Amino acid sequence: MSKIQERGSTHVYKVNKISKEEMDSMVSLCVYEDPPYCNAACPLKLDTRALMKAVAEGDFKKALQIYEKIAPFPVLLSQCCEAPCEGRCRMGEVGEGISIRDIEATVAANGEVTKSGGVFRRKKRQTVALFGSGLFALFLAGEIEKKMYPLTVFCEEADIEAYLKSAAAFLDEQSFAIELKRLKSKDIDFVFGCELSPKFFEEKRADFNVLCASEEAAKCFFKDAQCDRALMYYEAEKLVMGSGSGTMDAAFGAKKAALTVDRLAQKLSPANMRGEEGAVDTRLYTDMSEARELKRVAKSGAVYTKEEAMAEAQRCIQCRCEECMKSCAYLKHYKKHPGLLSREIYNNTQIIMGDHQLNKPMNSCSLCGQCAVVCPNGFDMAQVCHAARRNMVSTDKMPLAPHEFALLDMLFSNEEAFLARPQPGVEKCKYVFFPGCQASAIAPATVRAAYEDLSDRLEGGVALMLGCCGAICDWAGRYEMQETTREFIKNELSKLGDPIIIAGCPTCKKELSESVGGEIIGIWDVLEQIGLPEGAKGLSRPAAMHDSCGARGDEATQNAIRDLAAKLGCELLETEYQRDESPCCGYGGLTMYANREVAHEMAEKCLERSDAPYISYCMACRDRFAREGRESRHILELVYGTDAGNPPDISEKRWNRLTLKNNMLREIWGEESEMAKLPYELNFSDEALEMMDDRMILKSDVIAVIEHMRETGAAIDDEDTGYIMANHRVGNVTFWVALTEDAEGYTVHRAYSHRMKIVKGNG
Amino acid sequence: MQDRTYYVIDPEGKLRCRKCNVKLEKGRAKFMYLDNGFPVELPVCPRCDFVYVPEALALGKVLSVEKALEDK
Repeated sequence: MSKIQERGSTHVYKVNKISKEEMDSMVSLCVYEDPPYCNAACPLKLDTRALMKAVAEGDFKKALQIYEKIAPFPVLLSQCCEAPCEGRCRMGEVGEGISIRDIEATVAANGEVTKSGGVFRRKKRQTVALFGSGLFALFLAGEIEKKMYPLTVFCEEADIEAYLKSAAAFLDEQSFAIELKRLKSKDIDFVFGCELSPKFFEEKRADFNVLCASEEAAKCFFKDAQCDRALMYYEAEKLVMGSGSGTMDAAFGAKKAALTVDRLAQKLSPANMRGEEGAVDTRLYTDMSEARELKRVAKSGAVYTKEEAMAEAQRCIQCRCEECMKSCAYLKHYKKHPGLLSREIYNNTQIIMGDHQLNKPMNSCSLCGQCAVVCPNGFDMAQVCHAARRNMVSTDKMPLAPHEFALLDMLFSNEEAFLARPQPGVEKCKYVFFPGCQASAIAPATVRAAYEDLSDRLEGGVALMLGCCGAICDWAGRYEMQETTREFIKNELSKLGDPIIIAGCPTCKKELSESVGGEIIGIWDVLEQIGLPEGAKGLSRPAAMHDSCGARGDEATQNAIRDLAAKLGCELLETEYQRDESPCCGYGGLTMYANREVAHEMAEKCLERSDAPYISYCMACRDRFAREGRESRHILELVYGTDAGNPPDISEKRWNRLTLKNNMLREIWGEESEMAKLPYELNFSDEALEMMDDRMILKSDVIAVIEHMRETGAAIDDEDTGYIMANHRVGNVTFWVALTEDAEGYTVHRAYSHRMKIVKGNG
Repeated sequence: MQDRTYYVIDPEGKLRCRKCNVKLEKGRAKFMYLDNGFPVELPVCPRCDFVYVPEALALGKVLSVEKALEDK
């Protein structure tokens, strides 16, 4: 059989199968990181979702910390902010939006006043002066102090109480007391009773690095003072200034002004590098089915009590787009949203020297395309992982180990187990039946029954082609091998006179449509036309239908299968994630070879939809579900009354394909094809069989070791175990077998392998 | 680097080469993978150079080094 070249390690070259621009445009489809609507609407960028979560959990201390990040005076802000967030709350679309401002007011009133600064925070060197009072000036003072600039406030008021009063005369006594305490705790130098005149300003001007003023004060100093509202900056006099028409306007103005102070203090242009300011748009998708409590919690007094605030915050559905992560076991396993995971996988392909830590995640996606269907924006993780795999292959950095077994299996299907014959007595057949490699491996009797039925009932002759469509090398990213396979199949089809392909597997149908083209139909389409054969019978119990990922987007196939099931008398149950939304069983994309844990989670995810038996129309799905212990039948088993029984192990799968080919050759085409017989008895202990299936060691590998031992005599006796230990290198793997010998032959007790080569001496 | 030995197994006289009918001895050998080499001392037949890799070594240290190199 053909071999596959191991990857190189010293070649360093770069080929891009996916450009950075393509990746960027793909990543931009993922809206996971878009802000929730309430947050996007807030010019101050309050993390409302986190605040609601903290309140819902009763953590008012944490809630206040979140609120204080954007509000130096939380009580003040919460009592008079215009709350643009409430208007955008998605709950408002199905009921009443969350009373965010009322919750904030309760948070501000109930959380502890946290002390400014911190033990480890140091004041900056650049000094700032702020002239005047009022709401804008108060907020600006709070923002500058938070940025750790030594700040001096010059005001006309006689004391700190009067200063606060000038900004927030509307506060009730209790609220005023809280904010006064907060203001006093801040590290700000106040100079009271100043006369804010141009002369006073000129006297102080040279003592500070950055100067700020309320609009009123600025106009006293400069008659024509006028600021740029985007920067809150009067450039002619290098004065940061502003005012606010409302509370939110004053708070947002103070935030912009504080950023300008920051830039000026660093001697940078205030207009540059400001980031995104103010309210923004968002594309976040929210699953509104989460909404339960549609009515607002009523207030028993002027403000919510803590309990009322908690109940109201618990109504928040925590808007977050996780549609793909809810439905895909792979994304759930890696706990990363596809935007982030894609970026990391792309970066992985760009590493020239160093560890490719994302190889495993890249090879663990089943390439099934479910995410593209469930994502509101059509983000396709399969596209990213497939391109990344091809990129790794093109740069010779793709490890062979995760996919080698599957690739060799494909070569086996298209070499030793391959068969292409026209129907006996028909020179040029109208059709060719292509059952797919997994059908021959898992349910050979079904394949044979299907072929005999088709060749019996279809006019024009039906040829047979047993082989692999090339999906395996396509999934592995081995594009050169894929091209070779395409040429091979195309050539074999041409020898048969390019008949219409009747695919037995939706993945083969899809793969062959893309590779060799021509007319391709499914066996389900044919059966719909010619009706069921005699003896066809459905399951007696209601069953769940699992749609194949190969049939995603192929509504005609999905319908034809359901029609077949109905004709068979099957009662199908409604389940989650059907048709185009169907998840992968774990075989697709070679996940079961690259990451068994994820493949198992994928099968579990499929099976959690129903406790009933599963009917599928892809043999790999049938096999994966049966391996998980679920009653699982391929629809063709029901059509032809064949039961493939327990899932075969990896050696039986090959054996099934080979015997199917040889039996059909002998019995249908009258061609003798002897299967080589061993000149000795070969037995396996149960432990050895289990071990071999787990370690992907074939009986043919073990036979190769024994043949080598018989030929060369190379082996050792292990005194401790009593076993003979023999080895042989097959392709890129060295296999070891522990066996015992008797008069008839050998019994295999253990088997293991390694990919490293071992040589005597220092090499 | 050349003198460093990454792994040592002494056969302690419990392994015998079937071909040469002599006991395996602790001897120098080298694991090679993806252009990397690792000197080790393993049970080796002094006559025919058969090198024995025990199961625990193959599925332990060897496998973990293989995986690390594959992702380089």
